[in-house]
Amino acid sequence: MKTIREIFAFFAFYGRKTRRTQAFFLISLFPVAIAAVFRFHQAMGGDGSFDGMYLFTNVIMTFFLQFLILVLTLFFGTSVTSEEVEGRTLTYLVTRPVPKSSILLGKYAAYTLIVTVLVWIGLVACFLILNFERLGESQTWLVLLRYLGVLTLGILAYGGFFTFLGTFLKKSIMVGLLFSFGWENVIQYFPGSTQRFAIVHYLKSLLPRVMTSRGRFSFLTFRLEPTSGPVSILTLILITAGFLALAALLFHHKEYIYED
Amino acid sequence: MSAVIATSKLSKWYGNVLGLSDVTISIEPGITGLLGPNGAGKSTFFNLLTGQLKPSIGSLTIFGEPVRNNSRAFRRIGLCPEQDAFYEELSGWEFLTNLLRLQGYGPSEVAAKAEKALGIVELLADKGRVVRSYSHGMRQRLKFAQAIAHDPQVVILDEPLNGLDPLGKRKLIRLIKDFGREGRTVLVSSHVLPEIEALTADIVLLHHGKILAVGGIQNIRDLIDTHPHIIAVRSSAPRALAAHFVGEEYVLNVHFENSRDSVLFETTNRDRFFERLTRYAAEPAAAVEEVTSPDDNLQAVFDYLVGT
Amino acid sequence: MPIAERGYIHWDGELLERRRPWLPITRQGIRLAFKRKYFKFSFFVSLVPAFGFLVGIYAAEKIQDFKLKIEGVSTILQVNPGFFRAYFAGDFLLFMMLMLMVLSGAGLIADELRHNALQLYFARPLTKKDYFMGKAAILVFFLSLVTVVPGLVFIICKLIFSGSFRFLADYPWIGLSVIGFSALVTAFFSFYTLMISSVSKNRRYTAILLFTIYIFSDVLFGIFYASFRNPYFALLSIKANLQQVGAAFFNVKAPYAVSWIYSLAVLLTLCAVSAFILHKRVKGVEVIK
Repeated sequence: MKTIREIFAFFAFYGRKTRRTQAFFLISLFPVAIAAVFRFHQAMGGDGSFDGMYLFTNVIMTFFLQFLILVLTLFFGTSVTSEEVEGRTLTYLVTRPVPKSSILLGKYAAYTLIVTVLVWIGLVACFLILNFERLGESQTWLVLLRYLGVLTLGILAYGGFFTFLGTFLKKSIMVGLLFSFGWENVIQYFPGSTQRFAIVHYLKSLLPRVMTSRGRFSFLTFRLEPTSGPVSILTLILITAGFLALAALLFHHKEYIYED
Repeated sequence: MSAVIATSKLSKWYGNVLGLSDVTISIEPGITGLLGPNGAGKSTFFNLLTGQLKPSIGSLTIFGEPVRNNSRAFRRIGLCPEQDAFYEELSGWEFLTNLLRLQGYGPSEVAAKAEKALGIVELLADKGRVVRSYSHGMRQRLKFAQAIAHDPQVVILDEPLNGLDPLGKRKLIRLIKDFGREGRTVLVSSHVLPEIEALTADIVLLHHGKILAVGGIQNIRDLIDTHPHIIAVRSSAPRALAAHFVGEEYVLNVHFENSRDSVLFETTNRDRFFERLTRYAAEPAAAVEEVTSPDDNLQAVFDYLVGT
Repeated sequence: MPIAERGYIHWDGELLERRRPWLPITRQGIRLAFKRKYFKFSFFVSLVPAFGFLVGIYAAEKIQDFKLKIEGVSTILQVNPGFFRAYFAGDFLLFMMLMLMVLSGAGLIADELRHNALQLYFARPLTKKDYFMGKAAILVFFLSLVTVVPGLVFIICKLIFSGSFRFLADYPWIGLSVIGFSALVTAFFSFYTLMISSVSKNRRYTAILLFTIYIFSDVLFGIFYASFRNPYFALLSIKANLQQVGAAFFNVKAPYAVSWIYSLAVLLTLCAVSAFILHKRVKGVEVIK
């Protein structure tokens, strides 16, 4: 545990310092700009039927769930091992008295924390902008907590999967993009149990049904045949643990040979 | 003295490409130079020693323990890798202290050890600068610092003098020698022979993944029985000197140098040649001024062994 | 001659300027791209629409043969400017072009920044313009193979299958439209890809950025358009802008009620910004303070 903590501290520090993290922080603030545009439009008297919660759940959350956390976890997840191999810095880590599994898990934890902070900042800011009038209602905060929880589970699961992908494949980005914006989207439209092969299915199952309504934003949603909450949470945890265990096992046995 | 590093029939293939073949060697404390041209298998050997690669065949131990996936072993090993790679956005200090933390030290120990290591490599003044702004020499020294900062008993240095200017080389050579004198086991690789020559007399010659020779330079020379040695003798009467030796069966070739006062003898038996030369030198007419062996350096040994 | 008098020597020869100093960069880039594992697969997948449309041209002619027997079916498949627009500005082709850029373009400059290789180029008689041309030509090569080449093949096949020049008589400008729009799409993606590739030394990062910005611009448009029903939000989307301009080039109705001139202006502005960033980022020597 101590070695995981040390690796975590190292990469939480390093991850914070890199310009890439700063750029992704800016990208994660784009939804805040979207929320601000909606709010501004309403303030200008443009839309009488403005419903902050509706926009938050149907637009902002969809954006976070089906776009932003995928992009962030794809980059940071594959970075866990790929950036060490590409940057040829893996040597410094694997020649320390630290088990390889600790390197992988510690770095995963550090990068997951960074992604979670980026996402939470953006989501909370959007929430406050769009639901300013309802902040006195406890129910409103519960909604926010629920969404933060779902996104965190999503970050954990996608992060675990992409960590595995980065450990397994030399060029993981292409496969990661196809998975994120191909598989995860397409598979949802298949009926019955097929959609259960997508991580996003379990995340959406944890959200209130309003996500699947056929409103103005139906182009963003699909016909969800939800899995129960406890099963979804358990599945997401198992996906995370399973892929991390696989990644750790692979990392332990695999030889990484730097390219010239 | 017992061997610190021991390998037995160590071999490594990358698919069909041979990286290292049948290396059985024992390395004792002190400085050992691993010598070979590019692609000889030096880095493969070091990567195997540090557990980054697993052997295809054979075994290796450091202090009697296997290394790969044995994290405890790395408390006593320091590696300076060949590649010029760093966490570029960290400062020299952050780079070193973070790596020291991974050795398991507490904050005060980390600071003290980092300070000491940066002091040794003379980087204290630049410790706050980001690594990507360091010159090549500074980067090499920082790599060396991270390899020695935790006081390892085994230090493995993969081409540590690469790309350094003469002054930088001299400084680093001095540091490496200091380490060797402290009773540690230092393994240094290079493809530049004078560099190794400046560091140690104990060498391992590696070529095409195989060990060609192991031992002191002189021992290695003795292995080369079939190859003639060249001895240069300076004399004010070079032709008389040449005439004295030309009839001996162990003298293959006599060559007069342009300077006209020096003769190069090519002999298959150094001992007999020197025995006769000593007797001759005692004669009043001999006028022998200087005896040198131009091929008594590593380059010549290496050329003989690899057949170039 | 005393050394002091030999300060320098005049060379009286004539320096022959190489006409295409960028060509070796391009040749090497194309060769390397085809060595990439996923590139070949993606490249052939991106040619699938071209084959599909080619079959469509053939089928359209066959339907013409039977149109007397099957009434009304001739309206289903018509080879007209709309057909060309459907190919060139179709979602799938644009997406595949993006994927080709991710695979072949993300590392074009990023890898060289990482290995400090720019100095190697600029230590030779090579200008920045030559360097950019060499790199851009790699992308132009691949993009042309999925745009202008299939477009011209479509026209030729249409003429061959129909056995007459009536198609050209009806739409004499179609060839120019194919070339013009292909040039625009190719130029845009080349600028965009090179610019993104120059912002970091990390190829994975630039690959994700290439993809993210393109998709994000479209998602942004989707959200605002669905909310406000204002067609001007199409100007936020790279894809929608390309489709708008595509419609204008092929003289068909634009998907959104906003002038294609604005879309063209957006695309050209993006190209100009890209050129500016490229100019700033690509330097022979990097000075780090």
